[in-house]
Amino acid sequence: MIITEILTKETIHLHLSADSKTAAIEQMATLLSEQGFVSDAQQFVSDVLKREESSSTGIGFGVAIPHGKSAGVAKPALAFAKFEQPVEWKSIDEKPVSMAFLIGVPLEQAGQEHLKILTTLARKIIHESFRDQLLQATTPEEILQTLQF
Amino acid sequence: MVTQTSIIQNEQGFHMRPAQLFTELANTFESEITMTATGEDDEINPKSILGLMALGLEKGASVTISAEGPDEAEAVAALAALIASGFGE
Repeated sequence: MIITEILTKETIHLHLSADSKTAAIEQMATLLSEQGFVSDAQQFVSDVLKREESSSTGIGFGVAIPHGKSAGVAKPALAFAKFEQPVEWKSIDEKPVSMAFLIGVPLEQAGQEHLKILTTLARKIIHESFRDQLLQATTPEEILQTLQF
Repeated sequence: MVTQTSIIQNEQGFHMRPAQLFTELANTFESEITMTATGEDDEINPKSILGLMALGLEKGASVTISAEGPDEAEAVAALAALIASGFGE
């Protein structure tokens, strides 16, 4: 899975202002919907939030990976955001989240595609140097460069 | 040290929810626990969810769980049983 095949400059937001997890997911879903990855943002957000209810996607280190397989997704999609203020996410380590990847996968494609994206991201996020690069990046181009793997 | 090999049973493999359940369970044991995808060199600590997700285990994948410490036998048995249960999916 090449992340930069599904993440685009337009679905990266480096100064997102959100006062809640729900607001953050809604705004990130809007980015995906504006670029045609998501056909029904309301449906997608509802599926992602339902997924969050079963267990938080805040995986620690200030990072969250909300995701959903949803009839509202037209094609595999990825958005990335850094938050102006850390967002409470009920993370595993109980710390708020400063950046998030939002993954969307169409219902009919929900098998391994989803796992491949998660795995690819996890293998990078595990490295502190990668997280630092994301935190320091100031343009979408730099984010994309960091994610070229 | 106690070691056991398990096969991933659930359709969607080790995505985030199974990884969370597994990490929670692993953290209830005192022993040092390590996991490898069978045939791979990378050894991860399943008390960290990122490590588990990085293994990218799909259905049918084989995984080796090892534990060393005061509750090593219980730890390996419980974690293998969780995998065998298919995480209730």
